[in-house]
Amino acid sequence: MGNWGFVGLAYGLALVALVGYLVFLKGRLRGAGEGLAALERESGRRTR
Amino acid sequence: MGRGSLVARILGGAAGLLLATGLYLGLVVVPPDAVQGDVQRIMYVHVPSIVTAYIAFFVVFCTSILYLWKRDLRLDAVAVSSAEIGVVFTGITLATGMIWGKPTWGVWWTWDARLTLTAILFTIYVGYLMLRAFAEEPLAAARYGAVLAILGFLDIPLNHLAVYWWRTLHQPSSILRPGGPSVASAMLLPLAMNFAGLILLFAYFLVERVRLERIRHRTAEVRLTRGRRG
Repeated sequence: MGNWGFVGLAYGLALVALVGYLVFLKGRLRGAGEGLAALERESGRRTR
Repeated sequence: MGRGSLVARILGGAAGLLLATGLYLGLVVVPPDAVQGDVQRIMYVHVPSIVTAYIAFFVVFCTSILYLWKRDLRLDAVAVSSAEIGVVFTGITLATGMIWGKPTWGVWWTWDARLTLTAILFTIYVGYLMLRAFAEEPLAAARYGAVLAILGFLDIPLNHLAVYWWRTLHQPSSILRPGGPSVASAMLLPLAMNFAGLILLFAYFLVERVRLERIRHRTAEVRLTRGRRG
């Protein structure tokens, strides 16, 4: 592998790690938000 | 639930802009290093990554001390969020360092003091996250986690000074050193851009990750209220 191959590998890995973390974080946020909304809707129905 | 605050969006946008400019300068505009050639361009991601990880763990250190003092779960939420992001940046540092090591040292990995202490740093905070994830009692997990995070932070000054205290393959610091940076001024601009970009990206991740903790706390509260009502 030439010098640029190592450079590409390093930047590629860093990009995959950062974008992967962003997607993972957004997925968890969406899941937690939907879970909370459903729970609050259900609690609201019970109270009424 | 909203799609993220305006602050988060501004931080994310500014980080993206700075990183794109820094990468363009570092990969296209700045000439190759006189000794190492083009492979030295890995520095523009490797060095800002470890500095960002240090900042993340410093945030964990401060908020953990404050948590033990005040017992405020909002501080713990910032600590656990910052630790997770710090682990991501330490992982990037280790990976890019190994890739840089192969063409310059001839090996992917060596048990040099700097590399070993960085691997230990990574392991300490992965352990911290595992403790937080698997503990059954959240308040005890927060307390033990805070102690581990404070002790774990001691690895950072040791890691920074390792290149001066021991004979290491890793070069001494080029930026955070007495007498100022030893890097050529043309190389400082992309480095500074990527520093700023990654620090803003860290701030963006932190805002979003703390939001996740808040949703989790709120969910636990709603469940508890429902449980009490039967």
